Amino acid sequence: MSYRIPVGPYHLALEEPYKIEVECEGETVVSSSLKVGFNFRGIEWLAQRKNITQCIALLERVCGICSNVHSMTFCMALEQIGGVEVPRRAQYIRVVVAELERLHSHLLWCGIAAELMGFETLFMQFFRHREAVMDQLESISGNRVNYSMNRIGGVNRDIPKPKVVCSTVQDIHHTVSGTLIPLVTSDPTVAARTRGVGVLTRSDAIAYGAVGPVARASGVDADLRRDCPYLAYSDLKFAVPTRQDGDVLARVIVRAQEVLESCNIVRQAIEQVPEGPIHVSDIYSVPAGEAIARVEAPRGEVFYYVASDGSDKPTRVKVRTPTFANIPTVSAMVKGADLADVPLIQAALDPCYSCTDR
Amino acid sequence: MNAAEVRETIGGTWTERPYGWKLCVPVAAIRDAALQMLRCEARFSALVAMPAEAGGLRLSWNWDVKGVLLSIETAVDWDSLVPSIADFCPGADWAERETRDYYAVSFDRRDTTAPLMLRTGDEPGMMLRPEGGRV
Repeated sequence: MSYRIPVGPYHLALEEPYKIEVECEGETVVSSSLKVGFNFRGIEWLAQRKNITQCIALLERVCGICSNVHSMTFCMALEQIGGVEVPRRAQYIRVVVAELERLHSHLLWCGIAAELMGFETLFMQFFRHREAVMDQLESISGNRVNYSMNRIGGVNRDIPKPKVVCSTVQDIHHTVSGTLIPLVTSDPTVAARTRGVGVLTRSDAIAYGAVGPVARASGVDADLRRDCPYLAYSDLKFAVPTRQDGDVLARVIVRAQEVLESCNIVRQAIEQVPEGPIHVSDIYSVPAGEAIARVEAPRGEVFYYVASDGSDKPTRVKVRTPTFANIPTVSAMVKGADLADVPLIQAALDPCYSCTDR
Repeated sequence: MNAAEVRETIGGTWTERPYGWKLCVPVAAIRDAALQMLRCEARFSALVAMPAEAGGLRLSWNWDVKGVLLSIETAVDWDSLVPSIADFCPGADWAERETRDYYAVSFDRRDTTAPLMLRTGDEPGMMLRPEGGRV
């Protein structure tokens, strides 16, 4: 006998409104349909009615977790249109903040995944380290979210205590590599909840255009920081973790390994950051033109198309967030899965519905 | 395949941009180009629509090939039917629905282009509404 079960838009397993309706035969999911748009704010429409300085603040609010990435990518697009050369020191500072944001995002997600698996101790461990990252972001920017670091042609603030940032990431690296990754990969509870669950094949990942850790956990070896280096990434050494299994466990491991790589990137960037200015003089408009900027955000590629007619307002701002690309893959992941695994499978995407809806 | 090989497979005159490569094609060639992209393991990235200076709309299907962005662009009139690629490229389904929400573009070969961000029953073409023009 088949049942149609709605989950959402408001549900205990969801931090934000979103709806998935699953068609089940007994306990097995045979099909699903997804509904988004509950957080729709019309940000692209709004961006055409704000000047570019206001747009930086507006676009920083696309996402509450990877907020910095959005203002940074928007600024990078405008810098491309205006031919603005960003000072080298500012590029390194942008890398440090972007990687701290990735640490914050991944540790948050690992904690939530642990909680959904019923592993409270692991949840507390991940959140303890996430809190330390938030403290560092606060010490740099004054804010725990929406850091207001970016401006056209650089950044607004320097890093006041680089040695403390380094010691924080070293501590995270030590615990994640020495305790948390061995725990995740050897614990029978984690394995039972995640191994072989919510599989996304490599061919499906490509057909759906999946991005970020979701794609990399399905064997798609892609990372814009390495494949199309921007800012100071070409000067920094890091690996791009991938897995072939495409299941929830693979997504956990890829993100945990990316935490280690981000720690290494932050440490290198702080050691190598050159002296010099952190921004060019104030810019309030750019010449007519258009540009596309892409950045590897914590959840995957962020895509910005920006067009300017030379005035202080953009004529078009198109934002494609990583979760927008990744959520449709849930339909492929839940097909054939147990109904009880649906919340964990959709959470394993590290979805951000506010990002998606904009 | 790398991006140069994909460009060669698809053919045409590609223009290099700071952010990748662009190919302008007639609207009827969009499906063939998209099919070739998927066969080459390119990942669909984004569909960008914006009003063209000469009137009508510019539509650009953007694909990622190992970090290189390949954009296939076409220009259409406001009332043109645009071929859908969602039947073989599931990643484009939401992009097409959103483009209809924003610019009231009609895609053929789809049973329905349900609203993605707008509510059921809302008029498509939200980006064309004037300020205060919420329906």
